Amino acid sequence: MKLLLRRLGLYLITAWVAITANFLLPRLMPGNPIEQLIAKLQGRVTPQMIRAIKLQFGQGLNQPLIVQYGHYMSGLFHGQLGESITLSQPVSQVLGGEIWWTIGLIGTAAVLSFLIGTTLGVIFGWRRGSRLDAVIPGATFLQSLPYYFLGTLLIMFFAAKMHWFPIEGAYDTGAQTPGWNWGYILSVLRYSQLPIISIVLSSLAGWMLGMRNMMVTTISEDFVLMAVAKGLPRRKVMWHAARNAVLPSVANLALTIGFLVSGSLLVEQVFNYPGVGNLLVNAVGNEDYPLLQGIFLLVTFTVLGANFLADALYYLLDPRTRVSGQSQ
Amino acid sequence: MKHLQLPKSLKVRIGLAGLGMFILLTIIGPWIAPYDPNYTGFAQNASPSWNHLLGTTIQGQDVLSQLLIGCRSTMVVSFIAGFLATIISIVIGVASGYVGGKADEGLSVLSNVFLAIPGLPLLIVLNSYLPAGQQTNPLVIGSVIALTGWAWGARVLRAQTLSLRDRDFVEAARIIGEKRVRIMFGEIGPNLLPILTSSLLFTILYAVGVYTTLAFLGLTNVSTWNWGTMLYWAQSNNAGLAGEWWWVGPPGIMIALIGTSLALINFGIDEFINPRLRAGGVSAKLRRASGAPRRPRLGLTPVLHKSTEAGSR
Amino acid sequence: MTDKTILEVQNFDVDYGYGDAAVRAVSDVSFTLGASKVLGVAGESGSGKSTLVYGLTRLLREPGVIVGGEVKFHLDGEGEFDILSASEEEIRKIRWSHISIVLQSALSALNPLRRIGREFDEVLRVHDANLSKEQRRERSEELLALVGLRPDRLRRFPHELSGGQRQRIMIAMALALRPELVIMDEPTTALDVVTQREIVSELAELRRQLGFAMIFITHDLSLLVELADDIMVMYAGQIVERAPAKELHDAPRHPYTLGLMNSFPPLHGERTELEGIPGSPPDLKALPTGCPFSPRCAFAMDKCRQERPPLVLEAGTEHSVACWLHGSSYQGAVPVELSKRLAKNSEGAQ
Repeated sequence: MKLLLRRLGLYLITAWVAITANFLLPRLMPGNPIEQLIAKLQGRVTPQMIRAIKLQFGQGLNQPLIVQYGHYMSGLFHGQLGESITLSQPVSQVLGGEIWWTIGLIGTAAVLSFLIGTTLGVIFGWRRGSRLDAVIPGATFLQSLPYYFLGTLLIMFFAAKMHWFPIEGAYDTGAQTPGWNWGYILSVLRYSQLPIISIVLSSLAGWMLGMRNMMVTTISEDFVLMAVAKGLPRRKVMWHAARNAVLPSVANLALTIGFLVSGSLLVEQVFNYPGVGNLLVNAVGNEDYPLLQGIFLLVTFTVLGANFLADALYYLLDPRTRVSGQSQ
Repeated sequence: MKHLQLPKSLKVRIGLAGLGMFILLTIIGPWIAPYDPNYTGFAQNASPSWNHLLGTTIQGQDVLSQLLIGCRSTMVVSFIAGFLATIISIVIGVASGYVGGKADEGLSVLSNVFLAIPGLPLLIVLNSYLPAGQQTNPLVIGSVIALTGWAWGARVLRAQTLSLRDRDFVEAARIIGEKRVRIMFGEIGPNLLPILTSSLLFTILYAVGVYTTLAFLGLTNVSTWNWGTMLYWAQSNNAGLAGEWWWVGPPGIMIALIGTSLALINFGIDEFINPRLRAGGVSAKLRRASGAPRRPRLGLTPVLHKSTEAGSR
Repeated sequence: MTDKTILEVQNFDVDYGYGDAAVRAVSDVSFTLGASKVLGVAGESGSGKSTLVYGLTRLLREPGVIVGGEVKFHLDGEGEFDILSASEEEIRKIRWSHISIVLQSALSALNPLRRIGREFDEVLRVHDANLSKEQRRERSEELLALVGLRPDRLRRFPHELSGGQRQRIMIAMALALRPELVIMDEPTTALDVVTQREIVSELAELRRQLGFAMIFITHDLSLLVELADDIMVMYAGQIVERAPAKELHDAPRHPYTLGLMNSFPPLHGERTELEGIPGSPPDLKALPTGCPFSPRCAFAMDKCRQERPPLVLEAGTEHSVACWLHGSSYQGAVPVELSKRLAKNSEGAQ
């Protein structure tokens, strides 16, 4: 328990660092991007907007940094992330609309990839020395393909050429209207197939290779020999080994959630899929700093939250973590 | 240290060969490139021919030249980032693991924080804050990438230092009275080398990925050639949809190849560190030749009845 | 306790590796084990004792290979069981129900993620589907009681118990299906000396109660003297001496046995000077010609370095030794330490 609380504390600290960094960075950067931004925006945006930006970044307010920080933090607690310059909406609203696409896509793909990858890893590790080992170099190559490349290839081949999947988008914009109707839902499912497949393919090998290595190491432990000596059927022995071997993968799940979030940026680029990633890239391009910061904070909090969940899961799975004063 | 001879594993040799080839290309790439990558006078969208081994882009630029020139930028930035990040991770990881106490706690928190913050978004944000002029400077980009990528290595090095710290030979050095710094570099250091190398390779791998991704997203200077930029242009011009595989394919494959090379070398290091992963010390050929079943089965030690020649040694 | 034999081993050879890279780890081992008897196997690390025993049960890991000999068990209800030619399924059936093992370190032998109770439950369930959950539970508690542990230990995880408790649990688990043979691979080596002795005497008591046979591997001869019926001493994969326990202890014949005995101080009795055996364990890849022990033997002669001595049974006794100092071809005087007689047996030297 104590361990878990410490992790929670760590995540809270990280969140605080992220928030503070968000606050300080624009104010510390050389060349004063805010001034430049404001200069650029004169005449393009309403005076209220300009005031909002100034407020958000503390320009034009001759208050000490600490006070500005106080305002900033209290604003955050009220869910105010500022106003997006380009979209003229509160950032929180903008994010709220797009975030479900990202969660749905990435969440499904991550779970699938983990399950398929670790299962394959168990099999390959258990059957080590057989012909299956030849798969490893191929898997390594697959793993090294940059995601956007793989995605593009898949589109090029399976969508554009073979017409098995739609080329881009989240649903059939021409034919369906968003809402709780079957047509829309089916369309969303159909359009999500290729993106999900591409994410799963590109991250699968990593899970598989890691799990395989852990399986091989675990099998050399005494308790696996004991299981065989006890006359347990082979399936059971494999299951015992797998259960022990999967622990580090679960620990890694926390880290990879972070990577997958980064990956969502690319998915959306390649497949022209809606989501937070697209927002981020556009925000950068348009120098929409409030939106940029809002997204960054959101992404960070999500990742930290997911990390914490993964830690809790590991804590539940491995009894050795629950004894205080005993390290594994 | 035993691995100064060429490692026996086939995997590692292939990996090293790959890496070597890329380093070579980095050095001679711009010299052997047939044309100026920016020159747009060639036929557009031409598929590969003798004049243009990899065809041309939609703007009539030679793909091969872009590829060769792009190699240098990609590799240089990645290596800079990798080395810088590894240096940071050594300083923080080893010091934290060895010194222990409050310093360790503080540094660990720092590493974990950086580890938890997702790299790419952070990189994008940091990159966007950079003044435009600096964005093409490889050292600057490399540093920014290093800032997002050092944490993993630091954690690994810290764990390894911790386990080495309590070993006998370190204890002996301490008793003799060797200074802390000397112990860190003289005793613990050499034993960290395998894992350090692995960490370095991993970080370079990460840098390649993240740098080309940044370029793909169009967030770096799109007039500097690197493989990610090539894919950016390809994507913007829907080369994929048009089936222009000669434009889309090569840069991606190059990235994958350098990644595979690094990963293969890492496998070798993995097997070196963790002997259990090695192929059991038994070559498959010898197994087959002696008539044993191809795959070892736990709990079923093979039985061969051969006329004894090893009997009385 | 009948007089039947439960294990016959003939000319057993085990290699590590294949083809030209093979190293002989167990060489020409033969012995028999009677029901309810205890056979102690003693030797240094690398002597082949563990390899022998794991090989016998086909639990030897890669790259171990059995390359010669016969191993036949005689088990209740199974008749003669030739483990070297049996199928995997046949072997699985006799595992644990007739032959069980106890490993050196219980911490690594028990699944760290599972409670002790689940381990017992599983092994009972796999071998006897007729037992109900309640019955299994009762049996588990019975087994724990056998080794003096409270039933609440069933709910613990391995890392929550002390070394001695874990070892006892291993023993209890090994007895769960009332096997005829329990193999103990250095079960007490990882424990402190006092706990060692406790466990050994508990084992002796259990054996008296339940009547199982034991093969007990150790490098500490002193443990075997009270526990074992017969003791086999191994060196470089070969048997160098075998005799009833008391006789081996009182009248060792092989120089290596002597060295081994002098390496461990008895807990009680007078304080004698501790001598080790000079030199280092043999390199199996490069064994010397002749007797493998000759480089380290204080009594080595030229013949020892040229020809390997066969294991010879001393007439009229159950004592075998592989040493040129003994046997009819040797004309010289046997060193005093190696020619003691048991008090009752006074038939003069040689």
